[in-house]
Amino acid sequence: MTALEDAQEEAKMDMTPMIDVVFLMIIFFICIEFKVLESKLDAFLPTDKGSQNTVVEPEEQLSIKIRVETKGTPDYSKYGGKGINDNTGRPNRFVLKGHKVRWEVGPKPLGSIEAVKAELDRIANDPNSLIPDKKTGGKKLMSCVIEAYPGTFYEDVAKTNDAANAAGFKEVNFGGGLGPGK
Amino acid sequence: MNVLKIVQEDLEMDMTPMIDCVFLLMIFFVLVIDLSQKNLEDLILPRAVFQEPDDSPPENRPIINVLQNGTVVYGGAVFFDPSVDGKDYKKIKQLLLDIRVKGVAEKTLKLVQKDVGGAFVEVIDDPILIRADKWTEWHFVGEIMKQCSQPDIAFWKVQLALSDVDKETGEKNEALK
Repeated sequence: MTALEDAQEEAKMDMTPMIDVVFLMIIFFICIEFKVLESKLDAFLPTDKGSQNTVVEPEEQLSIKIRVETKGTPDYSKYGGKGINDNTGRPNRFVLKGHKVRWEVGPKPLGSIEAVKAELDRIANDPNSLIPDKKTGGKKLMSCVIEAYPGTFYEDVAKTNDAANAAGFKEVNFGGGLGPGK
Repeated sequence: MNVLKIVQEDLEMDMTPMIDCVFLLMIFFVLVIDLSQKNLEDLILPRAVFQEPDDSPPENRPIINVLQNGTVVYGGAVFFDPSVDGKDYKKIKQLLLDIRVKGVAEKTLKLVQKDVGGAFVEVIDDPILIRADKWTEWHFVGEIMKQCSQPDIAFWKVQLALSDVDKETGEKNEALK
């Protein structure tokens, strides 16, 4: 073996470990996609309201109503058609097409989430929206209650709650018991 | 190089592929087992910007899954199916009662005394997570929340699951872009 042949042999790079590592990383990132990116919204139920024996004045709160304009049509085509998934035993998912809601922030009717955001921003910055804070003796922004009417979806409520949080409402309540949609 | 040396060289086993495979299997099982323990159904959660990351959830936290059609799944088993049970929500109530009784008996859920409406009630001081699909009708989630507020169940720390990413549309929060 000549010196030249020796040098050529050393220059051959072994690709196997690099490919192995790349595969490891691919599998890791694919799996991690299923695992993370979940978060939570604390929707603690009231435990102390109405516990006073004395008469308490009701606190002023902003009502945000969500009403259905068009419920929409489930579209199963993206997830294998209507039916039961053989692997999971659960019904196949659908995408709701043409779902449309309208909001009422206080008495004001609004047709888009952007308009709701703008209205909530305006209310949050209005000094008249401040109410006495019984705990600190100072002032605080009034709370708001999201009332989802029959036929509304979790997505509608989550978007509305997000808009309220973005505007700075610290206390967001959920009105329930409005019943199922048709 | 004599014949003996050649034979000895052939016998040296390359451990690299085996170690790679072991690592692959380890990663796979760690992730899969973690998913199964969390009892998470395959749902697409609504995207929200203002929420708290759920990085280190309590191990004992019950997770109630609500599918798109309102089916309530806990621990991989169906407890309420609106196509069978209709508007009779007793099974949801029974499920929450069972979770409470089992959790208290096994000391995975902590009871505290709270003044609720002038009367002292034993409430569960640990959170419960409701995971619903973005296209789940809200009244199913509202019904679970209503049942949680009943004095005999009294899960008051209700949490709603959200996501940074809408897996249906691919929309992501600004922080992830």
